[in-house]
Amino acid sequence: MPVRTRLVIAFIVVALLSAIASSWFHTLIGSYHLSAWLDDVILGPRWLQSLVSTTPRSGHALLRFRPLGQPAPLADHHTALTFFGIEAGVLLAIIAAVALAVSRPVLLPVRRLARAAQRMSGGDLSVRIPPRGRDELAQLVTSFNGMACALEDKVGELEQMESRARQFAGDVSHELRTPLTALTAVVGILDEHPGLTGDAAQAARLVSQEVRHLNRLVEDLIEISRFDAGSAQLVTDETDVANAVGRCLRARGWSNVGTDVPAGLTARLDRRRFDVVLANLVGNALRHGGPPVTVKAGIQPDDRGDGQLAVEVRDHGHGLAPAAIPQVFDRFYKADTARARSEGSGLGLAIAWENTRLHGGHIHAGNHPAGGAVFTVKLPLSAVEQP
Amino acid sequence: MATVLLVEDDPAARQGLELALRRLGYGVQAAETGEAALRDFRDAAADVVVLDLMLPGLDGFEVCRRLRRGSDVPVIILTARGDDLDIVGGLEAGADDYVVKPVEPRVLDARIRAVIRRTARTGSPAETYGQLMIDRDSLIVRRAGQDVSLTPTELRLLLVLSASPRQVFSREQLLGLVWEHDYLGDSRLVDACVQRLRAKIEADTSQPRYIQTVRGFGYRFGPV
Repeated sequence: MPVRTRLVIAFIVVALLSAIASSWFHTLIGSYHLSAWLDDVILGPRWLQSLVSTTPRSGHALLRFRPLGQPAPLADHHTALTFFGIEAGVLLAIIAAVALAVSRPVLLPVRRLARAAQRMSGGDLSVRIPPRGRDELAQLVTSFNGMACALEDKVGELEQMESRARQFAGDVSHELRTPLTALTAVVGILDEHPGLTGDAAQAARLVSQEVRHLNRLVEDLIEISRFDAGSAQLVTDETDVANAVGRCLRARGWSNVGTDVPAGLTARLDRRRFDVVLANLVGNALRHGGPPVTVKAGIQPDDRGDGQLAVEVRDHGHGLAPAAIPQVFDRFYKADTARARSEGSGLGLAIAWENTRLHGGHIHAGNHPAGGAVFTVKLPLSAVEQP
Repeated sequence: MATVLLVEDDPAARQGLELALRRLGYGVQAAETGEAALRDFRDAAADVVVLDLMLPGLDGFEVCRRLRRGSDVPVIILTARGDDLDIVGGLEAGADDYVVKPVEPRVLDARIRAVIRRTARTGSPAETYGQLMIDRDSLIVRRAGQDVSLTPTELRLLLVLSASPRQVFSREQLLGLVWEHDYLGDSRLVDACVQRLRAKIEADTSQPRYIQTVRGFGYRFGPV
């Protein structure tokens, strides 16, 4: 049944019930000789009374009141007002009951709709409401389902496009590895060849340098495409931080980097990823910041009061431009556009950021009050391995 | 100098690697397909096999499995992917080590040298632990009197562990001692090799007697 019909019927029922109730009330207390003005207050104006009044059924009234043994009618205002109150109460109760009965089936689909909309804004686009009946609300439910369907399709399409684009970046990088294998294998021969002099030697050096650069770029692209595909996995071991920091710096020949790491400081980390994070931050500081570069590590309390590992990489250069700080972890972001292409891939900080996030930590970039940029990595002391 | 059987289907990569390996002083036998590799291996015994995983026809995993059926030759897999599935699959097929393309010649050289060195003899008397006899001089391992056929990596792992019974070695230490990897070596190499070794020398691999796991630390030999 359409909602409009239901509402019309409800109004008619309420009107009829109130008419009957007031008529009954009139009959009941009519015998009490109410003053005319009170009659008007209770029953409405004369013309309305004539519309709804019926023959007084005094027998009925007598039946109720005679057993109380009170033959004399009371014209007392208080009693009249009490009856007036009772009448109003009875009427309100009837109307409220009817309204509740009528509104329930109307509100139920509205509530379901609200719940569905809430789930949808929470990200669940698969939500649908089974349509019931053929009224206006059923139409609304059908439209909602249609909208959810269209939205899900569109989002699915966009996600597919995005994943295709990411897949493409990964595939391209993989494809580049085979030709790079050949290049990497032979470029050393050119490097060391005594027969090359002058321009030829310079060209050979350039080729060899750029092949190395290309290798790093491809490697970083593959690394980041693993994060995009969600296939990056954490392999954690109990790690001595001072040891890991020392080895990271030694392996890259960065003997000019100062360290301040307490002995015996351990954390459960993915060693390779921790090494990547630290190497990228220190490499970035050496390339773009000013010397001396220092690495400091320690335990700091986190939001919940537990300890977390904090590793701080600081340089003593000009620091980061405030406008650049929110973007330093973006892929291929270059703070200084005038600067010539650096030896990094442009993905180093983005990779450091992803690796930190995989550990359940985060990196903060900022400037030291005394000058120079500071990158602070915060990692939980025991990172959780995903299954 | 050692002979390398290089199995790689891409002509440029094959040529490049062959050139680099020859310059490093290795004898190189190059094969284009898995079938050719198996045939060549029968004809000319190579000291080490460098095997690409992505091959047309018979893939690298299958080639590795078939090589293992008749030989303990060290196998280094060459993967263009560096994907965990590839590496784990290769190690399960019996590979001793892996390198990810593009590989620098000096890295490949170091890995080849390391797998070959594993067959070096140490010259100490035979020792017996329970039913296991380890002869360090002739590099023979016997279990209950039966010869056990071990690959050089498995043998080296057993020799390193049994040289200090009861001492716990971390995966990192074993990577350095057996594989000669730097500090960021892949600990899955150790785990895969321990599994293979246990399958050959233990009576019950679920309750290993010789190669025991020390949870959270690594492995140790015995106590028997």
